[in-house]
Amino acid sequence: MKMIEAINVCKSFGAHRVLDNINLVVNKGEVVAVIGPSGSGKSTLLRCFNGLEEIDTGEIIIEGDVFSKKLSKHSRDQITNKRKREISMKLGMVFQHFNLFPHRTVIENIIEAPVTVLGMDKDEAIKRAEELLKKVGLLDKRDSYPSKISGGQKQRVAIARALGMNPDIMLFDEPTSALDPELVGEVQRVISDLAKERMTMLIVTHEMGFASKVANRVIFMDDGKIIEDCTPEKIFSNPDHPRIKTFIEKIAKR
Amino acid sequence: MESYIKYLLDSTIFILEGSVLTVKLYAVTIIFAIPFGIILALMKISRFKTLRYLISFYTWVFRGTPLLLQLFFTYYGLSIIGITLQPFTAAALTFVVNYSAYLTEIYRAGIESIDKGQYEAARALNMDYFQTMRRIILPQVVRRTIPPTCNEAITLVKDTALVVVLGMGDLLRSAKELFSRDFAITPFAIAAVLYLLMTTVIVYFFRKIEDKYSVYE
Repeated sequence: MKMIEAINVCKSFGAHRVLDNINLVVNKGEVVAVIGPSGSGKSTLLRCFNGLEEIDTGEIIIEGDVFSKKLSKHSRDQITNKRKREISMKLGMVFQHFNLFPHRTVIENIIEAPVTVLGMDKDEAIKRAEELLKKVGLLDKRDSYPSKISGGQKQRVAIARALGMNPDIMLFDEPTSALDPELVGEVQRVISDLAKERMTMLIVTHEMGFASKVANRVIFMDDGKIIEDCTPEKIFSNPDHPRIKTFIEKIAKR
Repeated sequence: MESYIKYLLDSTIFILEGSVLTVKLYAVTIIFAIPFGIILALMKISRFKTLRYLISFYTWVFRGTPLLLQLFFTYYGLSIIGITLQPFTAAALTFVVNYSAYLTEIYRAGIESIDKGQYEAARALNMDYFQTMRRIILPQVVRRTIPPTCNEAITLVKDTALVVVLGMGDLLRSAKELFSRDFAITPFAIAAVLYLLMTTVIVYFFRKIEDKYSVYE
């Protein structure tokens, strides 16, 4: 089943073309690592899938529903904002800088959207949130404020918060890039657990080791284009493109 | 000695009677100006260009002219074109409009200081504009703008003394009357103590809110 489909998606910031005719299909249960040099459009691509960025032209289809469709840069999106919101419910997103709500405790961060957006009963939301916290190993931080926990813990809460909306697809935008090296592992473990549960995921990352372990498909982006789309084994051992080879060697040297 | 204490008490009571008006005007201004400030701030950063310009014009005028002139305008000026207001109504109206202008700019700056990641997180959780503002953005704005709001609240206590020009009997005017009658400095001292008392209560009150809101920092 196609979970995400991008057809001829283009996007520019000013004169800079960030997404250059992207075509991509992500199937159910796939874990796709998106790698490539910075500025290659990885994050923008992710952000187009849940509407944080508007595409210039092309079409994005989420689980068979057209989420965004534009014929030209200055035409209106053919999908209404209301419809977009309904469709984007299927996606959860985790950000590089966590973006937890600082004025809410850990548990309040998680129940916020289920209660205000889905209208879930508060007691039920708390029960679910506690299960999610147990899953990411942070039940003891239930009533802490985000400022009182570490970066790795914040990111695990952010993952629990996104899961709280019961998404079918999870988008990770450089989930470990803002973390101290010793905290990276705990977040990667949580993501690996999700992969084992067959959650469909798109992960923008610079951690090549993690990408090769968790992903069953790797996409290499450069200059707004997808220049490789294959298995992790192939991309890390024998990439077709010399550009990819140089990039991976450069990263490995760090 | 005993007679001085009696004089002190009588004078204080007389001045306190005048301060009823001061407190009333103060309360009306605070109660209306804070919510107005928040609403106008949201309008000032909205995507409607005309609305933004309109609000900018409003804050430009009311922050750029003396409050005293605005009082004259509302009370005396409007009466010339046939709108006659009671002194208290005119004063309250002017104070609310004037203070809302300052608070609008304070809250606007507060809203703009919130990290855009907060909006993105709310959006990614499918919260709509009102849910995002009410539940995520504004609570953080309130916390950040407590100190400047407290400043305005203190200034307001003292600005209320301007209503003397509309012939209203407020705290300061009562003191002035006693001074004229007795030619003694005591009434002014009492007035000063009463103003200090009020500002102290306000500062204390704001400190309490600040403590309550700062638990998350």
